[in-house]
Amino acid sequence: MTERASEPLLDSAFLRQLDRLALVLRRPMAGDIQGERRSPRRGSSVEFADFRPYAPGDDIRQIDWNLYARAERFYLKLFVAEEELNIHLLVDTSASMDWGAPNKLHYARQLAAAYGYIALSNLDRVSVTAFGAGPGNLQLPGVRGKRGAVPLFAFLQRLQPGKQGDLARACHRYIQSARTAGPLLLCSDLLDPGWKDALSTLASRPFEITVMHILAPQELDPDLEGDLKLIDVESGAPVEISANLDLMRRYKQHLAAWRGEIESFCNGRGIIYVPVDTGVPVEEFVLGRMRRRGVLR
Amino acid sequence: MSLITPLALLAAAIVGPAIVAMYLLKLRREERTVSSTFLWQRMVRDVEANAPWQKLRRNLLLLLQLLLMLLLVFALARPYLAAQGISGRNLILIIDHSASMGATDEPPTRLHAARERAYQLIDQLPDGGRATVIAAGGRMEVPAAATSDRRELRRAVEQIQLSNGGGSDLSQALTLAAALAAREEDSEVAIISDGNVILPDNLRVPARVSYFPIGRDTENMAVSAIGLQPGTNGQTLFVQVANYGQAGATRRLDLYLDGAIFNAYNLTIEAGREQSLIIELPPQVEVVEARLNGADAMPADDRAFAVSPATEAATVRLVTAGNRFLETGLSLLPGLKVVSVPAATTTFTETVAQVPVTILDGVTPPELPPGNLLFINPLRSTAYFSVTGTIEFPQVRPASGEDPILRNVSLSEVSVLKAARIVPGNWGRVVVNSDGGPLLVVGEREGRRLAVLSFDLHESDLPLQIAFPLLLSNLMNFLAPGSGAEAAQLAPGQPLSRQVDAAITEVRVTRPDGRTVSSRSGEVQIQAGQAIYADTDALGVYTIEEFAGATLVGRHRYAVNLFAPGESRIATQRDLTIPQTSGASSTVSRERDSRQEFWRLVALIALIVLVVEWLVYQRNGLAYLRERWRQRTGDRQSPLRS
Repeated sequence: MTERASEPLLDSAFLRQLDRLALVLRRPMAGDIQGERRSPRRGSSVEFADFRPYAPGDDIRQIDWNLYARAERFYLKLFVAEEELNIHLLVDTSASMDWGAPNKLHYARQLAAAYGYIALSNLDRVSVTAFGAGPGNLQLPGVRGKRGAVPLFAFLQRLQPGKQGDLARACHRYIQSARTAGPLLLCSDLLDPGWKDALSTLASRPFEITVMHILAPQELDPDLEGDLKLIDVESGAPVEISANLDLMRRYKQHLAAWRGEIESFCNGRGIIYVPVDTGVPVEEFVLGRMRRRGVLR
Repeated sequence: MSLITPLALLAAAIVGPAIVAMYLLKLRREERTVSSTFLWQRMVRDVEANAPWQKLRRNLLLLLQLLLMLLLVFALARPYLAAQGISGRNLILIIDHSASMGATDEPPTRLHAARERAYQLIDQLPDGGRATVIAAGGRMEVPAAATSDRRELRRAVEQIQLSNGGGSDLSQALTLAAALAAREEDSEVAIISDGNVILPDNLRVPARVSYFPIGRDTENMAVSAIGLQPGTNGQTLFVQVANYGQAGATRRLDLYLDGAIFNAYNLTIEAGREQSLIIELPPQVEVVEARLNGADAMPADDRAFAVSPATEAATVRLVTAGNRFLETGLSLLPGLKVVSVPAATTTFTETVAQVPVTILDGVTPPELPPGNLLFINPLRSTAYFSVTGTIEFPQVRPASGEDPILRNVSLSEVSVLKAARIVPGNWGRVVVNSDGGPLLVVGEREGRRLAVLSFDLHESDLPLQIAFPLLLSNLMNFLAPGSGAEAAQLAPGQPLSRQVDAAITEVRVTRPDGRTVSSRSGEVQIQAGQAIYADTDALGVYTIEEFAGATLVGRHRYAVNLFAPGESRIATQRDLTIPQTSGASSTVSRERDSRQEFWRLVALIALIVLVVEWLVYQRNGLAYLRERWRQRTGDRQSPLRS
């Protein structure tokens, strides 16, 4: 999608609307450095969290002297730590994503950009990883703050579709290399025999995963007729079909069953599943459906 | 059904496997790139076994294409039926119903086959086309005239019955057909016959004439003559059996006397020959039946009957100045009593019953005697003809056809020196003609039979020839029916007439089938001293009984035999020569161009299959349209459903 590289991923009016949104987190998550998010850890903030008996080595500045006066024992007064969040954006750039009208990869870029922009405007750290482009994953190390939007968008713009992607292996590699768990947004079409492996691999670390299942209208309702030889854009493997109305109906049933299977798989692992139709404008999708889904607020 | 170009079928052997191979190999399949075949693979695994034959089995399109190919190849091979057809909008159907059409070589009879063919032609009649049905040969009938009602036409054809009498003369029918055809454009004359017919010489039919020959068989033997004459001490039977076929044959001839078997004779006769038997029979025998044993194609002529001739002699009055030839000739004829009267006699007092026949040889009395008359060399005009002069050396030209007067008579070597030039009235038919005028005219006028021989026997060599006694015999049979050996024999359809006295009050006729008709019911007519029964078409013995009051006065038998060589010669003619005004082709038979091709029909079916194939090919689109339509109508019915 090189021809689209020049135009901005998201227009400014949309970005202004995104400023008012925030990510929805179901639980506090730990970060690396001090930030503005509640962390499961105890730290220094104005919000009281708990008391804890003093143990040698603790910072005596945290001892609650009033409690000592009453109980004549040392207790530490603990406060909720406020740390930054590490937002993980995973974009599938395998060849199957570079397909459809509107293009699925472009849509994935836009979604990642919108999600990342919201995170950045909340002073969270955003890192982007694209897989499918080659043997290794292409990564944007964490950027933070609104200033980080520029490199984020630039990185996303630069993403090129790859050839053949192995979703499960890419996810496995990512899990091993990611330092801190945090909210994770996976933008993929999951058209891979190993989608189950990939999702369960991601779920094996305490990421708060949201799966953007991106499908083009041509995949949801194929416009096929006659005797056809379908060529896989990734593997080149042919499938011969005699497309007729009956086959199309069966395809749609099959697709619906598959999506249902993914959804129940995700529900079982605490993964938020969001089906995406690239036929819906991205603004409408982000402002409407993602909020309804409880991904954004 | 046959094929004109059967080699075209080879195309099926080439194209058929090619189509199947194309389907099996699936040489051309449109390629379409999709994001992933992941879903498709899973589904195809579910629903479709990939075996090629299984694909073939469910491939309706392939089957339709093969069917289409077969139909087209079949059409290319140009199939045809050996049916025979007509094309005209005004069809004149001449159906021969003469005796030869009773041959059984086309079971049950040729007439049935002719009827079937007629039904076919009627069915082929184009819409709005009209047809006329003429039954010809023997009595001509027109049971349906210019009607387009096919039911009526079929009924008319069904009504046509075999007619034993009258020969197979199509002249009258063809003349009528020509007249009908001339009235209307696009006419067609169809002749359904076995071809043993007499055709007019000088007729041009202003329409296409099609001839549909009926019949296959050629072999036939017949009893061709039978006669019973009083002999020296008993009766003499004369039987003649002819082989009209094309191969020699042996048949047994059984003789029945008054219904009881008498004797049997094995006869071996070569083709075209005949064999005669002369058998002495006891005097009391009344009815003799000769029957050829076994069966041939024509059973009607295998039986013949002879009855004992009437014993009473008919009186013939001969008014002559002296004619030895005539006197000798008449005296040789059996059953005649000749009374000679001087030529100067002018008044005749005897009644018709007493003297039924008068021969006026060279005299013409001012007042003609009653009864039947034979004029020989008339000098003056009478009420029946006028004499306008004389003809020198007239060329003798006998009439064509089978005139009973000229039966067995050969006039080819007869020379005439001088004859009277006579102009007959419209009662007579010219039996012997010449350049200057008729030489022999016979006919009936006002209930009396008349014959005029226009030359003096002394001015001709006729009396010296063998034809003379035969001609005289035939003439006397005509003028004095009920006398002589031949008297008791009638041709089929020839009216049975008998002089009856005024005392007779009822005449009954017992037909061969046993049915009795009576003059009381009007079926037998009594007119001017004659009892006439006309319905003698059935072959066999007719018995006439005369009643005066309640008492039986006289009983006479008549035998009706089919002695018609023209009918017994049953070999079917393949061609008829009928001149037509339209074209030079005068010989018309429908055997040769009888191919009725129906590749158009096959091609039409192929077109339908093509449409069906297209519909099957487009069934997705059709199903889509149907679904859309259903959705739309469903939405309209329940607008509240979002």
